[in-house]
Amino acid sequence: MWNLQEYRIASSPAEAVALMRKGPGKGAYIAGGTDMLLEHPACDFVVDVNNAGIGDIARTPGGDLFLGAAATLQGLVDNNFVREFAGGAISKSASQCGNRPVRSTATVGGNLCNALPSADMAPVLLALDATCYIADEDCQESLPLTDFFVGPRMTVLEDRLLVGVALPGECAGWRCAAHKLTRTAEDISLVQVAVSLGMDDGKIQEARIALGAVSPVPMRAVLAETMLAGQEITAVTPDVLRDVATIAAGECDPLDDHRASAEYRRDMVNVLTRRLITRILTDDGDNMEGGAA
Amino acid sequence: MKVVGKNVTKIDAFKLARGEPVFTDDFTRDGMLYAKVLRSPHPHARILNVDAGAALKLEGVVDVIWHRDVKPIPHTRAGQSYPEPSPYDTLILGPKARFIGDRVAVVVAESVALAEAALDKIVVEYEELPALTDMDEAFTNSEILIHEEPDPQGISEAGKTNIAARIDKEVGDVDAALKTCDLVVTRDYHLPRVQASHIEPHISIAWVDEDQRLIVRTSTQVPFHLRRMLAQILEIPEARIRVIKPRVGGGFGDKQELVVEDLVGVLALRTGRPVRLEFTREEELIAARYRHPQRITMTTGVMKDGTIVANRMYVLADTGAYGSHALTVQGNTGQKVLPMYPAANIHFKMDCVYTNNPISGAFRGYGAPQGCFALECHIDEVARELGMDRLELRLKNHIKLGDTDPLSAKLGEGKEGLVRVVNSTGLDKAIELGCEAIGWGHEKEPSATHLKRGLGMALAMQGSGIAGVDWGGATVKLNDDGSVNLAVGATDIGQGSDTVLAQMCAEELGIPYDKVIILSSDTDLTPFDVGAYASSTTYISGGAVVKAAAEVRGQLAGVLGPHWECEPDAIVFADGMATGPAGKSMTMGEVALFALYQAMIQPMATASHMSNDSPPPFAAQFAEVEVDTETGQVHVRRFVSAVDCGTPIHPIMVEGQIEGAVAQGLGYALFEEVLLDRTGRVLNPNFLDYKIASSLDVPDMVTILVETDEPTGPYGAKAAGEVPIDGPAPAIVNAICDAVGVRMYRIPATAERVWRGLKEETR
Amino acid sequence: MNISFNLNGSATNLEVAPGESLLQALRASRVFSVKLGCETGDCGSCTVLLDGQPVNSCMVVAARVNGSHVTTMEGLLGDDLMIRLQTELVEHGAVQCGYCIPGLLISLYALVKQGPSCGGEIDEEVIRHALTGNLCRCTGYVKPVEAARAVVAAMEVPK
Repeated sequence: MWNLQEYRIASSPAEAVALMRKGPGKGAYIAGGTDMLLEHPACDFVVDVNNAGIGDIARTPGGDLFLGAAATLQGLVDNNFVREFAGGAISKSASQCGNRPVRSTATVGGNLCNALPSADMAPVLLALDATCYIADEDCQESLPLTDFFVGPRMTVLEDRLLVGVALPGECAGWRCAAHKLTRTAEDISLVQVAVSLGMDDGKIQEARIALGAVSPVPMRAVLAETMLAGQEITAVTPDVLRDVATIAAGECDPLDDHRASAEYRRDMVNVLTRRLITRILTDDGDNMEGGAA
Repeated sequence: MKVVGKNVTKIDAFKLARGEPVFTDDFTRDGMLYAKVLRSPHPHARILNVDAGAALKLEGVVDVIWHRDVKPIPHTRAGQSYPEPSPYDTLILGPKARFIGDRVAVVVAESVALAEAALDKIVVEYEELPALTDMDEAFTNSEILIHEEPDPQGISEAGKTNIAARIDKEVGDVDAALKTCDLVVTRDYHLPRVQASHIEPHISIAWVDEDQRLIVRTSTQVPFHLRRMLAQILEIPEARIRVIKPRVGGGFGDKQELVVEDLVGVLALRTGRPVRLEFTREEELIAARYRHPQRITMTTGVMKDGTIVANRMYVLADTGAYGSHALTVQGNTGQKVLPMYPAANIHFKMDCVYTNNPISGAFRGYGAPQGCFALECHIDEVARELGMDRLELRLKNHIKLGDTDPLSAKLGEGKEGLVRVVNSTGLDKAIELGCEAIGWGHEKEPSATHLKRGLGMALAMQGSGIAGVDWGGATVKLNDDGSVNLAVGATDIGQGSDTVLAQMCAEELGIPYDKVIILSSDTDLTPFDVGAYASSTTYISGGAVVKAAAEVRGQLAGVLGPHWECEPDAIVFADGMATGPAGKSMTMGEVALFALYQAMIQPMATASHMSNDSPPPFAAQFAEVEVDTETGQVHVRRFVSAVDCGTPIHPIMVEGQIEGAVAQGLGYALFEEVLLDRTGRVLNPNFLDYKIASSLDVPDMVTILVETDEPTGPYGAKAAGEVPIDGPAPAIVNAICDAVGVRMYRIPATAERVWRGLKEETR
Repeated sequence: MNISFNLNGSATNLEVAPGESLLQALRASRVFSVKLGCETGDCGSCTVLLDGQPVNSCMVVAARVNGSHVTTMEGLLGDDLMIRLQTELVEHGAVQCGYCIPGLLISLYALVKQGPSCGGEIDEEVIRHALTGNLCRCTGYVKPVEAARAVVAAMEVPK
């Protein structure tokens, strides 16, 4: 059994941070708790943030999409704002996290804060320029999701609370596709790639390529993005695609483990990047697939 | 037939679907204690001392035992008929740990949490020893001995090498025959360590009752063997032990072995309190049992016309730290598989070695899935080299009706066997129907340029019980209302044997199925049975039920005959009625009342049944795969199984056996593998990383029952539970080869392995 | 710590440890339809409804359900839809060892009650997606899926 001394419940983000700092001993935030019950992290108490008012999903007047940290993954699957944003890419990524019962409780914030290199929600959120909102006892801070991850299982948070992430309204019309490569249909990802392209006037105005499970933290393949951005769509020939994908594969830093070799993971970044860009450029509406082939 | 062959409602299905408390753990006793096992962190070490002082100081920790606390009685935990063909190389708790995860000490406490906390406080002094985790090294290294104890007890070469068991049997002269062949093909095949992964973990609860008897409520496949083993290990008379098997949440061979029952027994006797021990999933994947990993070398000699002249199979297998089933699983790898192509010259040789890896044992198929993978892949390879169609090569050589199994006489259950002749076979029909269903010979178009489609097939045969060894008993007793109590030792572990046996009983007595009240697997209340393994229950235990029911029918005819003034043989029992000549008839209830209150006899019989035959069920299985040539991912689009199990007593339950076996075989083919590091530590002891098939992983399945009439089986039945797990892996791997030209000699054929194969191919 | 919640329609108070899972708490309260299979959220034998949503009770801290509604098979034995699901599973031969079945039925129940998240029909693919969290080692899923389809088909037929 998970050896825990105390279960604290916070009713606001500020209270959560205060409860975390109150001590004594080591604490952790808990929302869905799926990772916590899996790993039984050594801590004396937890602070439950399910009632801290950070579970909402909303579209701001400016068109930004705000995902409360305690929103469940199933909430992301089901929510109409999320389903409509960037072709529903976030909903689709969420639908591939764990299984249905896990998604009922696991949260987007938990997925990000656990900060696994393979965090399922990270690539698609990185590819849509997500911003993190972080609460302290008396202030809030925001920073790009790219700066949120510090290392495997490490974030910038320390004892502060992630209250949510926001996706800028201008990304709502981007075309986004992600693919999670797995051993079986429901699995931890071996490699995940998410690509989003902002296209206008027959040109790729913006390009984002985000990678999961192939570096110490979820990352963007910035060099590959640069190659793509500003290109006329018609100029993206198979040769160009191959180059972009090869560059992306060169940017990652995968590990060998019992799930896959670094060599395989790197090649899969290459394959998936190429396929995803192709799919977006020849978009027929249903632009996502995932899981085992 | 009125009941046999019908899809009656499975006898326990509603209570299971309602989640009623019917499993071992759905039960508590006052004052119950909880046990937890302290496991070795070293692959090979002497246990010099266990200091449990700090653990015992925790309030609520009742007892800690280690090897000094239990008498060293060498035994096997294999759960086989006595005398067991497995070495007596195991102690309840021994002075040496032989794998990472081996038992070192056991705690009992007032709660699971307390027992877990106590584990952390136990200090063990080890003397680490050099370890062997590679089976080739274990085979040649006789400096490091995993079992150095002298051998009175059935280890093949105890004290000299690490070989736990070996077999070397030959029919004809393979060496000489190979010299005459037009083509000789030799290949190595590598089989992984996989785990049964029944969803209910191993669990036992034991207590000492008011008569000072040890009661063991446990999730087992072998209640009677278990009683015998516990009597031996605990040194108490069998009369003082009662084993009760409630519903079991899957076994697949893994619960043939005694895995937890000895510990709850010892601790209940020591503490005088009920003791419960349940494995975690991690323990299941470390300390239960695996299908033996093997390397198989196949050599086949053929003539240009496709006649197989000689077959040689050499198996090197890893039994892990203990040798239960070492001899017989590996024996099966040849015995159950090679007869498919009864060449005049067959050589089967195997060496099964101890290593400092976790333990291998029984798992559905019992050696045959390994052998079938090697043989059926090899047949495709031979066909390719010969330039002959792989289906044609199989059709030309496979075993036919009336053929004698060339190996059975030489190779039985760890000893000489009995001659086996094929008295029933639907194999040709299965092949024909299977080919039709999969669209054999019709190439399918893939949906994208990076995808390639392919078809593969495999043939398989198994047995129906162990000839001359397996037997079971059944008791049938008639009640006032015409219902009967059927008591069997046979062990329903979810496969539905209670239902099938009740069907046979009802059919034989001519009564409705719902008039049969079955009680199974309670060592105090039911006759003996060897248990649920070796595909024996329908064929062997069913034979006992039919005999016992027929005898009761005879008793009833015996009292009705004089009453009706007719020959007893003239009375017919059907549709719940007894009908005699001249319009005489009674309902079964009336017959019962007459027998009990007029004739004053209890119509009742106990019968035993064994068989010197073990008729093979046959399967022809076909896979259609799509391979992603860039990622290496394999998608099995369709899977067809055509299976001859004689008469299907309950067709949809037979289909269920086949479909479940296909899902397990699919995992064996594509993603299941317990991974060890160089020290024998399991790297993936959970369902996060030991993947078993989910609802999205299984292919579209077509299941065809090819009915035959087995003359030695009850109502013509043969076995069905194991044969369909043999073919999926070779059929899928053959289909991968058909799709992309890459032969996967090692399974599982993970995406990365296929990707690697594709890269090597293009190099 | 003490928690109070609604269990199968009855107000329930339980004393639980802060780190105890809902699975542990339920089984300790003799709610035996909820089975332990893996304790990692993979097998689904412990699936229950938490405020109507299927969850793995091994992956929910018991303390968290304070104030919530928890429904297990025991609470659905008289429910028409659940009885239909049970009956079809039984009649299709989908119940072998039965250990995974209460959890699997809870998942199917939630699916049929709520419908697929994208709207639309409950077809075979939707059913298979809904069941990925309920591992069954016996059946290969063929008969459970057939049974679920039969329930859905019967509901679609206008009376």
